[in-house]
Amino acid sequence: MPYEFGEILETIRMTEIEHFDIRTVTMGISLRDCHDRNIEVTKQKIYDKILRYGKQHVKLAKEVESQYGISIANKRVSVTPISIPFDACNAEEFIEIAKILDKAAEEIGIDYIAGYSALVQKGMTNGERELIKSIPFALSQTKRVCSSVNIGSTKAGINMDAVNMMGEVIKLTAEKTKDNDSIGCAKLVVFANAVEDNPFVAGAFHGVSEPEIVLNVGISGPGVVLEAIREAGKVDLQQLSEVIKKTIFKITRAGELIGRKVAEKNGIPFGIVDISLAPTPAEGDSIADILKAMGVEDVGAPGTTAALAMLNDSVKKAGLMASSSVGGMSGAFIPVSEDMGMIRAVQAGNLSLEKLEAMTAVCSVGLDMIAIPGDTAVTTIAGIIADEAAIGIINDKTTAVRIIPAYGKKIGDFVDYGGLLGKAPIMEVRTISSAGFVSRGGRIPAPMRSLTN
Amino acid sequence: MKLSEEEIRKITFEAISELGDKATPEAVKELVRRRVESMGGDYKLEKNDVSSGRVILTSFGLNHPGIVAGVTKALGDANCDIQDLSQKILGDFFTMIMVVDISASQKDLKEIQEEMNKIAELLKIKIYLQHEDVFRYMHRI
Repeated sequence: MPYEFGEILETIRMTEIEHFDIRTVTMGISLRDCHDRNIEVTKQKIYDKILRYGKQHVKLAKEVESQYGISIANKRVSVTPISIPFDACNAEEFIEIAKILDKAAEEIGIDYIAGYSALVQKGMTNGERELIKSIPFALSQTKRVCSSVNIGSTKAGINMDAVNMMGEVIKLTAEKTKDNDSIGCAKLVVFANAVEDNPFVAGAFHGVSEPEIVLNVGISGPGVVLEAIREAGKVDLQQLSEVIKKTIFKITRAGELIGRKVAEKNGIPFGIVDISLAPTPAEGDSIADILKAMGVEDVGAPGTTAALAMLNDSVKKAGLMASSSVGGMSGAFIPVSEDMGMIRAVQAGNLSLEKLEAMTAVCSVGLDMIAIPGDTAVTTIAGIIADEAAIGIINDKTTAVRIIPAYGKKIGDFVDYGGLLGKAPIMEVRTISSAGFVSRGGRIPAPMRSLTN
Repeated sequence: MKLSEEEIRKITFEAISELGDKATPEAVKELVRRRVESMGGDYKLEKNDVSSGRVILTSFGLNHPGIVAGVTKALGDANCDIQDLSQKILGDFFTMIMVVDISASQKDLKEIQEEMNKIAELLKIKIYLQHEDVFRYMHRI
């Protein structure tokens, strides 16, 4: 037998019992050639192009699923940041573009399309300003469109004017989608150091240096790592790191295989595999449970940040060894609403916003899917974004804020979206004011780290 | 045989000018086959993109007579070649793993999977069929 009995059973156990799946195969489509003076022609070009490349995406991904016995949870599409090719548009026209993206996504049978985005870390063009203004309307009038705005980078610093604008945009988005627990905010990410090849929606976009078309894959598999750690029992942390690496190595290899096969079937180039551990609300598919299995009583206990740092680093090391095409975020995600263990820690009062912020300094992204009271001040939200961006630019890593000031809700309430977005308890936010600082505006200069030349 | 880009372009233009509006997938396939053969090449259309044509079949369940017979008969009927077989019984529990070459089969992987699902239901066991590559990628460097 070319494979050991145990090896085969291990793979079966991962896919059938421990929720190992490919979280997403995301087709990145460039829309840079779709601009036209006439907005109707622009819309038609966008629609045609997405359909031309994406029509078979879901079907072909499903074929690969059954061929390899590994399920692919999501099939998605990312596009060029909309503000770039369509810079001449005004807010109304951008909303029209959002609607056509929504329609195209529905037509090809995907749940989300991402890239309603702007990159304004250093400054804003008129088109970018219009796009940002249009976000609350675009997100409330569409179902499948996801938006992101990059407001800071290690090379440029933090654009505080954009941060302030995003505070307003988030609040207005929450209000515009109040009938659905402010779901618009779950589709809106504010980034620092955004990556161009991230396959994970809502923050995905098809970066300007990307090719015409590409297929990126995001793996998942917290359940597999959790089981491996539990099985390892009482070993020291060096040995535990080995256990995590061995597991991640295997799932990265499988992830790359699946990505390459889907790309091959579509006849398009394969881009990257993002080796992020992305939790889901399913029981056992949780980063919080991994941290607890590593030894902290609950997420939020002293030691949590160190445990997360080690987990994140082990994931990266194993992924790099397993594939030469590692990209995207690649680490551990710590969303609250999408992780049952995180939700429980918040409810038990063990996990605060401040501790989460500390954890984002060592995880792969940032404050993710966190619900806060609806009456939180715009300047406070801007302050949260600025803090998170500062962690990102100083440490030369991606950070993000996906925060939901749930309209009309207060501490003790819940927002509940069902499905992969899950449900989140409203968390406490300090009410002492950030206004004096954030409203100074301008730009926080690029840090020392930017001067590496 | 490997075609150069120039040759592929030539065949494409011929197909366009000859078939025009009447092009169907079958007609194009037929025309390409004729062209490639006339160039002295061997035309083989891949039945599917399974690289080695081998799949791993894993089955589990409570042990009872007829499991191996049921599974192997269906594979035999579908013209699948069993290249390796390993079986273990732990208590009442039965596990069997096979390496099966399906490249000569008239059915593709999906059809065989559907067939196996029916048998699994009949025998009250679980059967998984996965392409060999996934094991090669995960367990071999």
